[in-house]
Amino acid sequence: MSALIELAGVTKVFHEGQHNALVALCDVDLALEAGRITVLQGPSGSGKSTLLSVLGCLARPTSGRVRVAGEVVSNLPEAFLADVRRRTFGFVFQQFHLIGGLSARTNVMLPAYPTGRTHSEIARRAAELLGQLGLEKLTDARVEWLSGGEQQRVAIARALINDPRVVIADEPTANLDSALSAEFLGILAGLRDEGRTVIMSSHDPRVCEAAVVDRVVRLLDGKVEA
Amino acid sequence: MIFQKSVLALLFASAAGALGALAAGPHALAVWRHWDLETGRARQLRLERRSSLVSTGMSLLLVVQAVTLLLFVFNADRMASQFVGAMCAVGTLQVDGFGFPALIARIAVFFGSGIWLAMNAVDGRCRDYPLTRPKSLLLLALIPLLALACGLELAYFRGLRPEVITSCCGSLFSSGSPAVTGDLAAWPVERAMPVTFVVLGGAACLSAWVARHGRGGLALGMAGLLAFVVALAGVVAFVSLYVYEDPRHHCPFCLLKAEYGYRGYAFYVALFAATAAALGAGALAPFAGRGRSPASAARLQSATRALGGVALGGFLLVLLMTAWQITASGLTLFPHG
Repeated sequence: MSALIELAGVTKVFHEGQHNALVALCDVDLALEAGRITVLQGPSGSGKSTLLSVLGCLARPTSGRVRVAGEVVSNLPEAFLADVRRRTFGFVFQQFHLIGGLSARTNVMLPAYPTGRTHSEIARRAAELLGQLGLEKLTDARVEWLSGGEQQRVAIARALINDPRVVIADEPTANLDSALSAEFLGILAGLRDEGRTVIMSSHDPRVCEAAVVDRVVRLLDGKVEA
Repeated sequence: MIFQKSVLALLFASAAGALGALAAGPHALAVWRHWDLETGRARQLRLERRSSLVSTGMSLLLVVQAVTLLLFVFNADRMASQFVGAMCAVGTLQVDGFGFPALIARIAVFFGSGIWLAMNAVDGRCRDYPLTRPKSLLLLALIPLLALACGLELAYFRGLRPEVITSCCGSLFSSGSPAVTGDLAAWPVERAMPVTFVVLGGAACLSAWVARHGRGGLALGMAGLLAFVVALAGVVAFVSLYVYEDPRHHCPFCLLKAEYGYRGYAFYVALFAATAAALGAGALAPFAGRGRSPASAARLQSATRALGGVALGGFLLVLLMTAWQITASGLTLFPHG
């Protein structure tokens, strides 16, 4: 199977050249295949979130090369990187980062506006996604009124609004109980069955050992363990 | 110094351009020395973010510089009524020794700004930012030019005193004048006319070729510059005579006056726009070749085509307006038989 995302010699240093410089990733080589669920596992500070940021084009590596679908993106200026990100990735964050005061539907619709699609088209797709995730009765509810599990499903719907090839989730089950975690993994399995690639970080053994997970990549001190 | 709204606006625009470029100078220097898109180092990311801001600000300032050339000339023409001896902009520009140097500096700033704006527009559309470093170098070169233009303009406006008796365009643009303008006025019409039409026609043909093929920008840049100089010489040598229907009136500035329907503005705007576009195509030419990604090469070629199109339109308009002046004029310089 060909790699959808490839990293070669990727290093990411924060506060470079300063006394508090931090090497978050060190010479990482990694290839992630399309249509699989991959979990990045490691303790806090191992570089999981940084690696997700680099994989998802949220950050550029300090050195090294990143390819997404055969296209080198590690040397793209931010304006163009945002375009690749919008076309290719959907993100689910640990704290969901939903916008309070707005309805579930509006939160889901927001990332689609820069793509140039019409309002009615976006609204139709948002309703469809919220329906698929069992939130059809809560589309007009303000997100702060929703439970943690419901908020996460809104976040998943928002990640899917632009029909991304890759869904990236950073510690998605950290704030969920075991039942909701299992439900979330079921949703991810559904996304994989639709042909999407899922990459998530987790230090939760229940997630790493779940049957739906195809591959676990272990990180320690910014390096991928063999 | 005469305090008027237009004078203050011009001074403010000049100062803003010079100070803006000066403020952007350290960043331009840093880009020239350290720009490396292959790395995601903190310094490179900082340069990219600042470049975006600096480019936006400089674009605005340089557009203002380009537009205020028109205001500068319009203002000089309008102020002629305030000086004894002045009939048009020439009189105002001759009140002190800084008028014409200020105008020439403004023209240089206009073309420099035009080239920078063309490079900036293309650069922002290419994923590998192929013109960021050359654009920074050009900005560094523009700093002394903008400062010089600002200084000359300030000196010019400071020297404008209503009690000064100035001379009219007739003394400067006559075959008896010792200046280069005298030589231009003395350029025989039977030679000036074919040379002007051939050079402008050649520039238009080359523009058409560049607009079609997206190549040959460097040649167009040089041809555009030549056409600009020849067209201005042609205006002094014979176009002005047909417009004023007077075989001794060679002034290129009276064309801007209301009694001639402001037709000079149309003529000069077309000529300056065509020349700026040709120079822009010339500036892009060295970067359109090797080492570019196919997408960037295509963008550069498409921009060169577009600039060729603008140059073509401008030179054709200049040619048509020149031909129309000759045919519609009541003046006959070449009697039949």
